[in-house]
Amino acid sequence: MDSQQAKKVLTLFRPGYADEAKPEFEEALKQTKRDPELATWFNQHCAFQKATREQFRQIVVPGDLKDRILSQTRPRNIVLWRRPSLALAAAAAIVLLGALAAFWFRPGGSDNLTAYRNRMVRSAMREYRMNLLTNDLNEIRRFLKENQAHGDYVLPKPLEKLPGTGCAILSWQGKRVSLVCFELDPRNDLLLFITDRKTVSNAPPAGKPQFAPVGKLMTASWTAADKVYVLAGLGDQKSLQQYLK
Amino acid sequence: MPDELDFECLVSRYYSSLYQFAFSLSRTDTEASDLTQQTFYVWAIKGHQLRDVSKVKTWLFTTLHREFLEKHRRQTRFPHFELNQIDSELPSISPPMVDQLDSRTVLQALARVDASYQAPLALFYLEDHSYKEIAEILEIPLGTVKSRLSRGIAQLQEILMCPHVSPAALKREQHG
Repeated sequence: MDSQQAKKVLTLFRPGYADEAKPEFEEALKQTKRDPELATWFNQHCAFQKATREQFRQIVVPGDLKDRILSQTRPRNIVLWRRPSLALAAAAAIVLLGALAAFWFRPGGSDNLTAYRNRMVRSAMREYRMNLLTNDLNEIRRFLKENQAHGDYVLPKPLEKLPGTGCAILSWQGKRVSLVCFELDPRNDLLLFITDRKTVSNAPPAGKPQFAPVGKLMTASWTAADKVYVLAGLGDQKSLQQYLK
Repeated sequence: MPDELDFECLVSRYYSSLYQFAFSLSRTDTEASDLTQQTFYVWAIKGHQLRDVSKVKTWLFTTLHREFLEKHRRQTRFPHFELNQIDSELPSISPPMVDQLDSRTVLQALARVDASYQAPLALFYLEDHSYKEIAEILEIPLGTVKSRLSRGIAQLQEILMCPHVSPAALKREQHG
């Protein structure tokens, strides 16, 4: 190896990074002992590498960045099935699904409100994985809009005050359905399904919510502007009504 | 597996280095903050797909780099040079130049380096990633990483020594 070749190899040498021990540099380093001119260049190169590295590391990180990340992007959980409590809930949901199968698959129009409502609640109970996990309702809305789902929904005021837990994009009859989840307490969520008014054949009249149980969940369905909303949660009609005022 | 990793610990451990990498690429606080936040946001959605916990660091840096490229809509396929193709004369570095280096000057010089060399250089200097890690993060072959680093370091040195020479002229000089 001549000095010119050694110079090329040593360009990638990082002082203080255990590069001295790497075989790829061994021969080139030996050459610096034999050629004083190369040794001078190498010392200057190492000084440059150290100084440049130091300057990169002096990039100042904003003091509040960590808090911003944690407050805006905190996943409650990535794979919810792995929580023991949720695994039990999942098992319960499977039993519930079996019990409700006859009801869900009964004869009737496939695009009506009952079919839509049952299918959406069933999907949420069976597949609890969300596309976005965040407490920030604005983030949820932005995510849904960016992903061509329904993000231009209008929430009843009580729902606006609840923290979100995340959202998912589902499908019904080839049309997109937005699922927005709200946290009531650590074990109890409210699920809101939003789709186009035209997607559901017998949507409820505007301003008059319809209540119907789906398994252990109570649902409230209503129409506003060009959207149909279905809210589902544990409890009875009265417990859901408080979120619709 | 990632659900076993505490999100706050993950953020604490990597947010600074991710931000510095993002800042090296974008050179604006707003974009660097956005890219860092976006990286953890993508982790929140897709992190569970990662099977090997030891790859978390690489995954985060790869994600940030992808987000940066996506944002800047770079469609250009970067040229691929093997290390042995590099035959340019490496510049000499004067001690006064080294003494005068400051963060702003270095980053301004990095901005003038050929775009395909910027990310490898930032990773090379910032976090002391191994060449293999840099190759994994940038999703390019190891030989390409080394060639880009060699050329990038040479360009960076040239720019710092001759701040008024255009990058195009430097490129012409490097390619002989």
